[in-house]
Amino acid sequence: MTGNDIVDLATASAGSNWKRRGFLEKLFTPQEQQYIHTAALPEEMVWKLWSMKESTYKIYTRQYGGRFFAPLKFNCTIVDESNGTVNINNIVYQTTSFLTENYIYSTAKPVAVKDTCISNHCFRIPDLQQINQQEFIYKKLITCYTEMTQVEKTGLLIIKNEAAVPFLYCEKDKSTIPVSITHHGNYAGFTIN
Amino acid sequence: MNTEELMESLKTIVKPYIKSEEGFKNMTADSDFLNDLKINSANLIDVILDIENEFDIVIDNTSMEKMLTVGSAIEIITTKLGEK
Repeated sequence: MTGNDIVDLATASAGSNWKRRGFLEKLFTPQEQQYIHTAALPEEMVWKLWSMKESTYKIYTRQYGGRFFAPLKFNCTIVDESNGTVNINNIVYQTTSFLTENYIYSTAKPVAVKDTCISNHCFRIPDLQQINQQEFIYKKLITCYTEMTQVEKTGLLIIKNEAAVPFLYCEKDKSTIPVSITHHGNYAGFTIN
Repeated sequence: MNTEELMESLKTIVKPYIKSEEGFKNMTADSDFLNDLKINSANLIDVILDIENEFDIVIDNTSMEKMLTVGSAIEIITTKLGEK
């Protein structure tokens, strides 16, 4: 299973002042702050680490349930430009980050579990109202799934459980497929398991 | 400060970060910062820092973990103000 997270760099830059007093200390461990302060592009490192934590949070809460806001519990280690690990409560996740000038997209999967991700996409979404953007992403996910599996589109929908964890639901056989969806600014991504 | 006054202060604090006008209009103690008010998770830190500044309190990591709804924020602020 996989969790994902995307950061639209323009939106992040406009919406968050990471240099604000207390901001880094509340989000990042001393080791992570070190990564940021020594990075060639500190702001890019801020959002890369953040997307590593967020993508791991998504898969961790899918596996173990619960909801909480504890960014410091997710300890990031940078392996190389695109690979990293995140440790939470001694459970280790492997992360892959994809950087462009417009966005950073990270996915996280538990090291100890066989990877079952069958599809992983990120893309730009048109300038629409928030609700329509969501519809756009859901349609794209469903289309992607039907093209891969040749199942009919009708009766497929995205549902969320009480903890807001999303699934692709098939009305026909009442099956559910874990999916991870991320959306920020003008960019979005999904994984299908 | 009573709960009603706290609620008004909180509304002023969260307003710059909300992405759902509908959720903001109907904001109650049950409102979820992320799911109902559609506040971006990185901006949740701004909300927490703004709360710290506004009330001159420190929100420790354990309290921050529960900061997911308006009600839990009010509870945490009340506790921290009581400790002063």
